[in-house]
Amino acid sequence: MSELQVEAETAAATVGGAWLLVLSSVFLCNLLKILLPSCSSIISKLLQKDAEQEYQMRSEIQNMKQELATISMMDEFARYARLERKINKMTDKLKTHVKTRTAQLAKIKWVINIVFYILQAALMISLIWKYYSEPVTVLPSKWLAPLERLVAFPTGVAGGVGITCWLVVCNKVVAIMLHPFS
Amino acid sequence: MEPDPLGDGVGTGREGPGGVAGPSTTTPGLTASQRRAEIRRRKLLMNSEERINRIMGFHRPKADDDTHSETKLQLEQDKSAIPAPSVSKRVVLGDTVCSLAGTADHGSSAIEHKAEKKDLFNIAPEVGSDGTSELRQRSRGDLMEQRTSQHGLDQYLSRFDEAMKLRNQLISEKPSQENGNAAEEFDSFRIFRLIGCALLAMGVRAFVCKYLSIFAPFLTLQLAYMGLSKYFPKSEKKTKTTVLTAALLLSGIPAEVISRSMDTYSKMGDVFTDLCVYFFTFIFCHELLLFFGSEAP
Repeated sequence: MSELQVEAETAAATVGGAWLLVLSSVFLCNLLKILLPSCSSIISKLLQKDAEQEYQMRSEIQNMKQELATISMMDEFARYARLERKINKMTDKLKTHVKTRTAQLAKIKWVINIVFYILQAALMISLIWKYYSEPVTVLPSKWLAPLERLVAFPTGVAGGVGITCWLVVCNKVVAIMLHPFS
Repeated sequence: MEPDPLGDGVGTGREGPGGVAGPSTTTPGLTASQRRAEIRRRKLLMNSEERINRIMGFHRPKADDDTHSETKLQLEQDKSAIPAPSVSKRVVLGDTVCSLAGTADHGSSAIEHKAEKKDLFNIAPEVGSDGTSELRQRSRGDLMEQRTSQHGLDQYLSRFDEAMKLRNQLISEKPSQENGNAAEEFDSFRIFRLIGCALLAMGVRAFVCKYLSIFAPFLTLQLAYMGLSKYFPKSEKKTKTTVLTAALLLSGIPAEVISRSMDTYSKMGDVFTDLCVYFFTFIFCHELLLFFGSEAP
């Protein structure tokens, strides 16, 4: 009995704040997942510098339209037609520009999402790798009876809380906590 | 379906072979049996497709009210005209149709099938006398064979109808789910459960865990929740119709079984969530106690 206690104490000493580390990682991942759409839009805004050019084009078109409204079509047909052609050309250019930008935006968002999920997977795998053989926290084994083996999986330490069990629990709890914000 | 123009002046002259009956005109020269034959012929022409489907064993879930009224009317007329004892093997066919009929509405279908039986009693001698239909020449064996071959198809069709209804329900549910999702998910009982679990975990960590397993109080709490659940207002039970349920329905599992299993599944999910919250709170309290050094396990 005393041997078991000593074992548990040493295990607890080695793990330290592993449970907190796993919990904070899960929390951060979930929080980032919620903030991902706004994050990706901010990043895409930073990466795309064509917005200013687009704005200029828009204002230019607006000006030209105002000018067109002042010209009489009957009296100055040639000028009117020239200006109208110019407006049409500019509008077409703007449309192509917007289309390209939207496609680029979707691509950036997709890349950000993919990168996020890859990082999350890498983080989870590294956590599992690190705590594969040692428990994230240790309790007296009789507290967890009769599920101590299940809770300790895959460590096999009696009374230990394994990484898989703790990850599942943390994910569930963090999802419940963040549900009102999502 | 058109209403049957059966009135006092029902008997009409024949408009030619296969001609659709026109507006009814009274022909006083016809005898009673000729009039009945004429009525029958016109009915056959008007509802030929439906009748053939019934005889062949195809079930139509949407039986119109017109059909009922029409058959009832016909039944009343025939009751007065024809004596009952003309029982033939057509009764069996009538029963077949009855057994193959789906689950729509038994009351109305029973009336319909009674009428159909009666109808078929009467139709037999007249068809024979006219010699226009081939149904009489069919042997019973042929009909039974056809029945078995159609049975599977009929079942599949009824299931398909159910699946289509489910699909429509799914489509109509989607916008409402999007609107009131958050409100529906966290009802008062669920919040109560979660808070109860967290409080129990704290209590267990403080007083109970030295004496027995931490899962014993949790199980007791779950039992208590089962009893308490009836005292909480039940939120509108939304039937989650997913692709999975539609697929199960198509594969022949009754809707009742699917809904019950979905209910059980959701209850298990609730218990699992409670367990997670309970275990998390317990570990959290335990670690806090360890950190502040007030207690060692």
